[in-house]
Amino acid sequence: MCSSIFTARHAQFPLRIAQTSVRHAGRREGSADPVKEILRRTLYPPNVRNKPTPTGTWRPDVSRALQRAVPSKQAHETIERAWLLHLRHVRRKREAELAMKYECMRRAMDELEKIDPHLFREANRPEDPRVRSQEEVAMAKTLRGVERKALEARPPGLFPRELRVPTDTPSRDGWKYEWKPIVRPSAS
Amino acid sequence: MSCRTWLSSCRQHGRAASARCRTLATEAAPAQSTSASPPSSVPRPKKPPRAILRTAVILNRAPILTRTPTLFERAYYAYQARLQRALHNPFPYEFYFKPGSLLESKFNLEERRRDRKAFGPGFGADSPDAPGAGVTADDLKKFGQEEEDNTVSRVHASDLNNDVQSLDRKGQRNLYLLLRRREGAEDAWKFPEGPAEQGELLHKAAERDLRSTCGEGMDTWIVSRKPIGLYETRSSVPPTDPTKPPKTCVFFFKAHILAGQVQPLNEAVLDFAWLTKEEIQTRVGEQYWDGVKDMLSGF
Repeated sequence: MCSSIFTARHAQFPLRIAQTSVRHAGRREGSADPVKEILRRTLYPPNVRNKPTPTGTWRPDVSRALQRAVPSKQAHETIERAWLLHLRHVRRKREAELAMKYECMRRAMDELEKIDPHLFREANRPEDPRVRSQEEVAMAKTLRGVERKALEARPPGLFPRELRVPTDTPSRDGWKYEWKPIVRPSAS
Repeated sequence: MSCRTWLSSCRQHGRAASARCRTLATEAAPAQSTSASPPSSVPRPKKPPRAILRTAVILNRAPILTRTPTLFERAYYAYQARLQRALHNPFPYEFYFKPGSLLESKFNLEERRRDRKAFGPGFGADSPDAPGAGVTADDLKKFGQEEEDNTVSRVHASDLNNDVQSLDRKGQRNLYLLLRRREGAEDAWKFPEGPAEQGELLHKAAERDLRSTCGEGMDTWIVSRKPIGLYETRSSVPPTDPTKPPKTCVFFFKAHILAGQVQPLNEAVLDFAWLTKEEIQTRVGEQYWDGVKDMLSGF
């Protein structure tokens, strides 16, 4: 009905339509390799401007699925707020524990400074993992193989490699109870 | 210009220049250096030591397992997974699964089950939009596609029989080493501790003492040169001897055990245990616990 009113206007003043050429996956026809086609469709999804998402469509029954997943707007907001509150509790607990530990350490260092300034200075000395003491260098020349590796294995001031990250299930062999020390020369 | 040449000359000459720079910067520096050197012929009277120094080690077995999520966390993760399933951008199925292959059929079957579980009736196999699985579950079993669950249980045998010497017990928690030592008439549970020799650095003393008390069968790593805490005890009777220090200070050092087990060498060490924080509280004396509890991790 209204289109008849507008058609005359369109004829006089044609709308400016963006003429940028758009890469469209469906353009290449008759391409031989289906694998290449799949790759192209995966990496460059079809350019759809009339769909809700810029990269592609939702699943076909998205509104139905969303209605099942989200009870209501208020419920969703409540869940979100409850989660943030939970995270805040966890964070506060962790920070409180760290603060207590730090306070312990600070008091110990203050006392040490009063008791023995030399030991205090030594405790505060930063450890450089690259520095080797004289006796280590001399020892390194005499050692070979496994012992040499043991000497270089634990640089002071770095975390050891054997410190494992927690996993969801334990290792099949469990804790390694039989561990034999390799002669490690004491580093100063 | 002059400033830059001064700096470059400092860098070239190294140590000597740094001393020169220091004297240029501060006037108090030369006064301090002269006071440090002992020029007097009269020997200075030695000050009595302020405290008897002892070192202890808090040997920690870090958690092996991740924490079990709480009910609330599990529910929230499930909710977010459902939202993701409803809203995610298209997945390139044809890239990962060759059309018509057995793997694709298996995946479609599993996806329908997961959809049904997430959204309820009307989804999954009931939905008209679901990808049709070419094969049924029975067909898959015939081809032996069922994966076996090869994982080890999170609960170890030492959890069930409460073996406190085991290092596999309570995988999620932090365990600390406690030794039962005979002190005079009675025995007490304490962290491994020992005296620090004169002039010895404290973290070295801690390492040496740990090795001598608990044997060489443990791969330990002392985290830092700095002590993490202090436990002071004062003798109840004030000492008549003025040179004897009135208090004993035990400096604690944090260490991790990476492998091995305690092999007590001393006859003074009667027993050892790897305990969580609450378990330590039940075994250790009250005053000691007050001094030590802030250094330990709660979980």
